Amino acid sequence: MENINVLVVEDKPEQSTKLVEILKENNFTISGTATSFREAVDIFYAQNIDIAIIDIFLNGRPDGIAFAEFIDAQPNGLKPFIFLTSATSREIFNRAKLTKPYGYIVKPFNELELIYAIENTIEKFYGQEDSFSAEDENTIISDDNLFIKKGKALKKVNVDDIILIEVEEKYCNIITEKEKFVILISLVKILDLLDTTKFYRTHRNFIVNIRKIEEIIPQDNLILLEGNHSATLSGKYKDIINKFRTLK
Amino acid sequence: MYFAEKKYLLILFILAPVLLFSQKAAQSNVFTQQVLDKSTKFDTNPYFAKAKSFFVEKEWDSTLVYTMKELSTKTTKSELTDYCHFIRGISFYEKKVFKEAIKEFAKTADDFEFHNNLLMYLGSIALEQEQFTKAIGYFKKIETFSEQELLGIKKKNIEHNIGLCYLHLKQFPEAEKYLNESVRLHEKDKDTLELVGAYGDLASLYYEQYKDAEAIPYFEKAYGLAKTTNDFLLKQHTANNMAVVEEHRKNYPKSIQYYKEYMIWTDSINDQEKLYALGQAEQKATVEIKQKEVAVLKAENKAKQAELDTYLYSAIILFVMFGVSMYLYREKVKRNKIINTQKEDLDELNATKDKLFSIVSHDLRSSVNAIKTSNKKLMTTIETKDFHKVGNLLQNNSSIVNGAYNLLDNLLNWALLQTKQTRFEISKLRLTSIIDHVAYNYKAILTDKELKFENTISKKEVVYADQESLKIILRNLIDNAIKFTNPNGKITVYTHNDDPDFCQLIIEDTGIGMNETTRLELLKDTTLLAKKQHEDIIGTGLGMQLCKSMIKKNNGTFSIESELGKGTKMMVSLPKMMPS
Repeated sequence: MENINVLVVEDKPEQSTKLVEILKENNFTISGTATSFREAVDIFYAQNIDIAIIDIFLNGRPDGIAFAEFIDAQPNGLKPFIFLTSATSREIFNRAKLTKPYGYIVKPFNELELIYAIENTIEKFYGQEDSFSAEDENTIISDDNLFIKKGKALKKVNVDDIILIEVEEKYCNIITEKEKFVILISLVKILDLLDTTKFYRTHRNFIVNIRKIEEIIPQDNLILLEGNHSATLSGKYKDIINKFRTLK
Repeated sequence: MYFAEKKYLLILFILAPVLLFSQKAAQSNVFTQQVLDKSTKFDTNPYFAKAKSFFVEKEWDSTLVYTMKELSTKTTKSELTDYCHFIRGISFYEKKVFKEAIKEFAKTADDFEFHNNLLMYLGSIALEQEQFTKAIGYFKKIETFSEQELLGIKKKNIEHNIGLCYLHLKQFPEAEKYLNESVRLHEKDKDTLELVGAYGDLASLYYEQYKDAEAIPYFEKAYGLAKTTNDFLLKQHTANNMAVVEEHRKNYPKSIQYYKEYMIWTDSINDQEKLYALGQAEQKATVEIKQKEVAVLKAENKAKQAELDTYLYSAIILFVMFGVSMYLYREKVKRNKIINTQKEDLDELNATKDKLFSIVSHDLRSSVNAIKTSNKKLMTTIETKDFHKVGNLLQNNSSIVNGAYNLLDNLLNWALLQTKQTRFEISKLRLTSIIDHVAYNYKAILTDKELKFENTISKKEVVYADQESLKIILRNLIDNAIKFTNPNGKITVYTHNDDPDFCQLIIEDTGIGMNETTRLELLKDTTLLAKKQHEDIIGTGLGMQLCKSMIKKNNGTFSIESELGKGTKMMVSLPKMMPS
């Protein structure tokens, strides 16, 4: 599991320090701290970013909104962002609203509010609201990553690292090369959201990453995967074999 | 000279026959009566009867009109036509239209009863027109008839007229004969007026022939007779004649006396005329005065009418103005009422604001003052390096600052709410998370006060509200709960979910509670609590006020349940659905 990468755009050092501190404490990775629109753009291109926290006013100007507009204009690199504001005037709020932000954090904020805002923003951005805050779920699935709320911490897993997903009742065991962990998500949702070109269901309880398959043994109803993992192949899902180019 | 005077006399005598004839006309009652009597058989003809009555009254024009009408009815008998023409002739004669008169007389039949009278009229006309020979012809025709046959014509008049004609024709012997005859007849009849004329004419006759000796006695006779009459014209003529006669006799004083007399009579006549003219003038003047009066009255009337109109219009205008002013006055009163109530409201609000100001500034002052003294203490304590004490002091400081900060925060939010500057966006909110976020800030205080805080709200509870204002509400309610709960107490936050539309959030503490008065006071609108029995803990009431306003804005309701010494339940109901 990896940390979430956060870009902080904030001109006041004490504010950004506080922000960075809280984020680090909560196992977020800071991609960079920008104090101006220019710097923010530079970091945006140079670093890996999952989410941006933007103060609306940079050096007395509403450059934060300009940066949000810049992010909105990225064709492929669209990222979720949150506005950080003090008690907002309606005028500024209306302008900020035009950039369709996914969340606001009103200063002064506490740790819980910040984390909640980040989670909420990711939920909204991927259109899977109530995934973190609901009682029976903790995962958001995007094309590239799974965002998982582990306790208080928010983590992500690159879907390409996943070898095998083992479904058990209300939860799933995610097995990657390095680790094995449990997420709370319904099977329906996971099947609906996972990239079907990458993942196949082989059994009532197994979903495998096609690229991680090493060997299929139909007579044993067994699929051997990387890292000595294996999954069951049930008769109902045997047509998986047809999806591979086989030597004849 | 002499000729001229003679002519002067002549003019007098031309007048004489006219005078004479008029006298004849005046005495013509006999003749008129004759006409009436003789024509009674025609009284059945209404026009003729009318014409006759006008004839009697000498209304010549009307007589002419009715006789014409009678003549135009074709059934008239020839005798009746004769009467009509006769009467018409007389009428024309009287109006001096002699030509028409002659025509009318000519239309009568020769055997007409009044043929002689007709001839008499014709003679008179000829005489008037100075056709003396012709006149004599007419007169001579009837001269020989007896008085009865002449039907009212007096023989002496005929004689007189013939004499006059001869006199004019200067056939003096003939004239003398006839005039003498007429004088004789007049004297016989004692007809004074006509006698004067006859004497005058006879005297003129002699005078014309320069037979002064014979003429003068007649003049004097005429003069003497005239004096006895009331006829000014006769007196004037005779006096004038006497004056001329005396003048010729070179008896000037007498002449002058006669002239004077003549002048007197002339004056008398003139006076009469003058009197008449005067009367006319007077009448005219009176009429003019009357007219003037009428004009004045008219003008007055007009003026009065105008005045009346003016009054009427003024009254209308005044009435309208009165109505308008009444309306305006009522409007003004209404407006004043509104203004007054607004003023009262404003005054109240202003008083509230002033109170708020003083309390807030007082609170802030004491907070800052507390920090000041605490800092001083801190500095001295640092010197003693008693770090445990330093820690305590710092904690004390931070709690003071927290209180001040909350106050300021509320103040700011209040200002934003009042000026409607703040952004307000209702969205779906997970209650439990929001409670956790708010409670997070009180962690230290809760621990410090050894209070147990419990949020038992399920993750499923969702309300629709504006996030920031809900946080302000919760902050104040939790702050209050902490404030009024003694150490080792417990604060529980939970929901009641019976209502399908509203979620009731309850913040319950085991604090000191409040009495009913305070409770009701807190729920009242626009009430700010002053500091009361709890010097340290009861605040401005601004927080509660803010809560109520915010809850209202979020379409929620607010209520309090409390028991003194046992605790308080603050209950906020918020909508579960997106308000439409």
